[in-house]
Amino acid sequence: MTTDDHRDWRLSLGAYALGDLPPEERAALAAHIEGCPECRAELRELEGVAALLPLADPARIEQPAVRPPAELGARIEAQIAAEASRERGAKRRRRLRLGLGGAVAVAAVAAVLAIVVLPVGGESSPAQQVKFASVPNGVTIKATLEPHAFGTEIKMYVDGVSSGTLCRVFLRDAAGKTFSAGSFRYRWGEDSEAELSSALDLSQATEIGIHAGGRTFVAPVNPATALVGGAEIDPA
Amino acid sequence: MPALTRERDVREAYAAHSGELYGFAVRSLGDAGLAEEAVQETFLRAWKAGERYDPEIGSLRTWLFAILRNVVIDMGRARASRPRVGPETGIEPSVEPLEQALLAWQVEEAMRRIGEDHRRVLLETHFKARPYAEVAEEMGVPEGTIKSRVYYGLKALRVALEEMGYDD
Repeated sequence: MTTDDHRDWRLSLGAYALGDLPPEERAALAAHIEGCPECRAELRELEGVAALLPLADPARIEQPAVRPPAELGARIEAQIAAEASRERGAKRRRRLRLGLGGAVAVAAVAAVLAIVVLPVGGESSPAQQVKFASVPNGVTIKATLEPHAFGTEIKMYVDGVSSGTLCRVFLRDAAGKTFSAGSFRYRWGEDSEAELSSALDLSQATEIGIHAGGRTFVAPVNPATALVGGAEIDPA
Repeated sequence: MPALTRERDVREAYAAHSGELYGFAVRSLGDAGLAEEAVQETFLRAWKAGERYDPEIGSLRTWLFAILRNVVIDMGRARASRPRVGPETGIEPSVEPLEQALLAWQVEEAMRRIGEDHRRVLLETHFKARPYAEVAEEMGVPEGTIKSRVYYGLKALRVALEEMGYDD
């Protein structure tokens, strides 16, 4: 077999795959294919395509390709934009519900603690909300204090200081003795309260202080400003 | 394009694939209005499921066609008014004819994409079953040229099909 022969045979493979060759030519090519792995491999590929051809409708092939109307793209974009904004709204609502759920759960835990713990401690002082008045502009510091058998639970809300600021909280009694309530770091974007505790009994506390950013802010713990229950205290 | 979650990604995907998707939708639904609806629903579903698209698994085109296929099935289901055997036993439409329709459309689309000379020869000799000699005379070329155009036409068709994701 010469190279030229092979090339000629090869060009007949399409007609062979489609079954278009006259019998004697077909037989001769079949003999060549028998001894030519290259043509065998190519024939397999061509036969794969040839087998698909009957699926096609020649009338449709000759029709020009259809195009979607020009405004379809804009319509789809508008629909997706509408869905996106609806979804963003739904996410906000979900977050809001979660937030409320969390608050309710905390209130429920607080209520349970109040019921279980208070009789043991024998204290009946209600929870108090304290707002720090002498703070720089733009800074908010609030605390909620709740009596417990172990001492006082303090929820500290801080806003308007630099992110990462270390805050140390303490309670002070009438004698000027300081009881630490621990420390926390304020982080931007974290709209939550730090939960702390101090060994000083709330009924004995006269002042609450917070040391932050090199300054100390103190607010009186005054039974006159106490809020009964404490469940309605919301930093927002 | 890692996922199809941004609205901009959808716009790009639409620019690249809407023509083919629409072409197949028209082919399988037989109605331009329904086809528009199907394409719109396809892109909406693609956007909603955009995080699940993984280019490592398959091309965006293949993924969009898979969604369109489901949309077309759903539309067929919604349109069909079939008699019901029992209260909850609707007869499921067979998926097979749709797969076949997709393949048929791909072959037709591939035929449209190959060169005019090759398409002409395949149409005349294969689809119209005309003798090579007759087609050769009509086109004013030797019969050998018709034979080689059949060969190169099939090869081009295979390439076009592979470009459309066909994989035997």
